Order: sequence, then C-alpha cells, then structure tokens
Amino acid sequence: MNMPRLLPVLCCAVYFFLLAPILVVVLASFNAGAFLTFPPQGLSLRWYRTFFHNAVFLRAFIESMEIAVAATSISAVIGTMAALFSMRTTPALANIVRLGMTLPLVLPEVLTAIGLLFFFYAMGIGVHYSVALLVGHVLLTLPFIYINVSTSLRSFDPSWELAARSLGASPFVTFYRVTMPLMKSGLTSGCLFGFIVSFDAFSTSFLLKDVGTATLPIQLFDYLRLNFTPEAAAVSTFSIIVTFLIVIMTKTIFGIRFTK
Amino acid sequence: MRKYLLIVPAVVVLLVFLVIPYIDIIFISLHPAADDRPYGSGFTLRNYVQVLTDGYLVHQTAMTLWIGLVTTCATLVLGFPVAWFMAHSSARARAIQQGIVLMPLLVGIVVRSYGWTVILGNNGILNRLARDIGLTRSVLPLMYNSLGIVIALTHVFLPFMILPIFGTIRSLDPALFLAGRSLGASPAITMRRVILPLTMPGIQSGCVLVFILSVSAYVTPMLIGGMRVKTMPMTVVNTLIDAFQWPFGAAQALVLSAIGALIVLVFFRLTPLRWSR
Repeated sequence: MNMPRLLPVLCCAVYFFLLAPILVVVLASFNAGAFLTFPPQGLSLRWYRTFFHNAVFLRAFIESMEIAVAATSISAVIGTMAALFSMRTTPALANIVRLGMTLPLVLPEVLTAIGLLFFFYAMGIGVHYSVALLVGHVLLTLPFIYINVSTSLRSFDPSWELAARSLGASPFVTFYRVTMPLMKSGLTSGCLFGFIVSFDAFSTSFLLKDVGTATLPIQLFDYLRLNFTPEAAAVSTFSIIVTFLIVIMTKTIFGIRFTK
Repeated sequence: MRKYLLIVPAVVVLLVFLVIPYIDIIFISLHPAADDRPYGSGFTLRNYVQVLTDGYLVHQTAMTLWIGLVTTCATLVLGFPVAWFMAHSSARARAIQQGIVLMPLLVGIVVRSYGWTVILGNNGILNRLARDIGLTRSVLPLMYNSLGIVIALTHVFLPFMILPIFGTIRSLDPALFLAGRSLGASPAITMRRVILPLTMPGIQSGCVLVFILSVSAYVTPMLIGGMRVKTMPMTVVNTLIDAFQWPFGAAQALVLSAIGALIVLVFFRLTPLRWSR
C-alpha cells in the first residue's frame, strides 16, 4: 500500500496550490517598491495609502457594496417565498421549482448577461440607472438563497403553522414565531453566499454596468490591463479582508455553522 | 390557493429576466446585421453559417473547448485524491481542509487570476526562481499561452470538483473499500470496480460544473492569456460590445453553448455505461 503514504503529500501540494496565488497577492500588497517584485523590497503600507486616496477605487467599492446589498435583499424575499412554496406543494411541483430556481446557476453567466443586455435595450432602458446590473445580480444570488432556505426547511411540517394558527396566532405572529426561527440559519447563510457571489461577480457586471460606473472587480480588472504597481495587490487584499470580515461577523452575530 | 402567491414573484423574475432574454438571444441571432440599429429585419441563417465556416472562429471554438476539457481532467485528477483524503480525515483535520478548499471561493476571480499573473509572469516568481537557481537563462513561457490559462483555471475551479466528490465519498460506507480488498481485489481494482462507480454522481456533477465554467470563463483567459490566446467568450464580448454586431455575437455564443451542451450530454451517456460493470 504505497498510495496512502503518498496521498497526504499530494494533498498538501494541492492545498498549497490553492492558497499560493492568494498569499502572493497579500504579500505583494505590503511591498515598499514601485513594482511587483517577489520577495518584496521592504515592507510598507504605502500602496494602501495610495488606494485609500484613489477616489475611483473607493467609488467602485461603494458601488459593489450597494449592488450586493440590494440584490441580496431582493433575492432574499423572492427566494424565501419560493422556498416556502416548495414546502407546501406537491413533491412534483416542488421539483420543478427547484430546477427553475437553480437554473441561473447552471446556465453560463456570460450568456445570461448577454440575454439581459439585449432585453433591457429592447425595453428602451439599456444599462442606465443600473437596473440591468441589479437584475443580473438578483439572478446570480437567487439560487443561493433558495437552496439554503429550502435545505433548512427540509424537516419543516406545514401542520406546525396550522397548529399555531388554530391556537389563535395571527398569520404574522405564526410566521415570525414559528416559520422564521426554523429557516433563520438557512436564510443567513444563503444571504452570505449571495452577497459574496455578487460582490465578486465579474461577467454580469462587465456586460451590464452603466456607462461610467464600475464595481470593484471591474475597476481592478481595468487597472490590471495597464498597470503593474502593487496598488492592485492592496485593492485585492482589501476586498479579501472585507469578505472575511463579513463572513466572521455573520458567523458571530447569527451563529451559523457551515456544515456543507 | 393563497399559497400560489408565494411563487408568483419567482416565476415572474425567471420568466421575464431569464426565459424571455434567452429566447431573445435566439431571435436576434436569426436576424441580419444593420448599420443604424442593433439588428435588421428579416430572418437569416447567415450568422450561423459565418460562425461555422470562418476558419479562425472554428479554430478558436476548438481551442476553448480543448482548454475546458484539459481543465476538467486536471481538476478531476487533482480533486479526487483530495476529496478522498478529506473524507477519510478526522473531524478536526477535515474542518481545516474544508476551510482551505472553500477559502479561494471567498476571493474574487479577478484577484485570483491576478495572483497567477504574479506567479507565472515573465518576470514572475517562478521565472525568477528558475533563473536564480540557474535552471534556465531564457524566459519560461508560463503565461500568455494556453498552459498558463489551464493552470489558472484549474486553480479557480478546483473547489467545484472537490466539493461534490467529497459529498458522495462521505456518503459511502467506509467498509466498502475493505470489503473489496478482503475479497481479494487489489487496491486499484477495488477503486475502479467499487469506489469509482459509487462516486460517479459526484464526479459527474463536478466535471459538468467545471467544464461549463471553464468554457465560459472570461476574466482568467483575458488576464493570463494577455490577448495573445483568444478564447470564444472574449471574441463574443468583443463582437457584442466593441464591434456592436449583436446578431453575429449571439450566434457565436449559441454555437459555443450548443457544442458545450452536446459534450455534456455525450459525457452523461458514456460515463454510467463505462463504469457500471
């Protein structure tokens, strides 16, 4: 049995492969030199200072946050309603709903974005007012909300709601005191996944963004095509830190656990 | 009947913003081009003929699909052992490994591709290392070619291969492997005749996900290939946004998707037959 002896070595190599580019970016962001060299020529936070004084990147960051929050909120309502419907209907219909709700995840992102681009031009709106961008991000986040909420409601029995109602609770109280606590963890992790997917999305934003605006990944991409300073690494590291802070915050506030 | 109100918003969103736009793509691809509008009137198949007969586009489509296939194979070869190892680790070690596999997904695709340009570039870490230890005097061509694109895509999509396979291996009875062994089968035979068929659902969903994602990838080939290697998604975006040729771009995108879907179908038809005995 030679295989099991080699297996841990191979796995460690793969884990290194997975983490290496991320580590490289983080380390490069503390480079004191004007060019991306490795190992860094001295440590410095100068590229973070440059970044925090760069209005273009900051505006892109705020744009990304706004879109991610707005899209995730809209998806949270629509996705949760669909998940609640799946619990109350026949298995056959629930299956169709599941297929439909995961469709945006299976279809190529570029193709969906192209479709939306055509569609909004035909509507006469085009990419103005970020409507197309928002709709694109809702489609990106919707499957994650639906999958997570319906997973957490898998053991849910609709008769519990009936019991609450027959005991005199109003529909609102029933939802708030019975249904909501059961799906809270699924909704939280769904929103978290949705937010991250939207925050990092590229193709959808690239095709649907309004003229003159940009999300952070787009701005970074544009910058990288012409520049090679470590400022890009500082921007990248900043977006990594933001994502991790959001994950940790969600985890401590809502106490969710990532089981799968 | 009030419960049906719950599904109305989802149906409206999916119908209006997904189904209709996809029909619209097909519709537009069947129209001739126009100078003053996105597309002209009257139906034509010329866009498709043009995509399928243009030698440059055919070559590029083949290149894109090839990169997708190689990436899928690479993620499978690297991902399966990792998923196997993860599933057979202690609870604590497994949690750490799951964290490592999930972490890249929290980092944006632009950032990760950028990381690879720093590693693979002509003046990047690997090339400097090779020069410093005297391995080579010339520049190793790691970037601006399909090799670099495959390396970066393998990294970007590896978690999508590991996680579904890990899921199916976890649901297997650990005694199965021992049973195969105790009945006299070698580890290789046990793996091929017992474990592989049982983990096939995970392998299938991993392969399909990685293949679709890497064939339609835009950012990574763009940053790593540096315009010197062109894949179809880049050409489609160019045709649509820069050249403003909507019907032609739509036809390009649909031809690529159709061939991709066909390959996925063939893959689904071949795999269970091959492994079920």
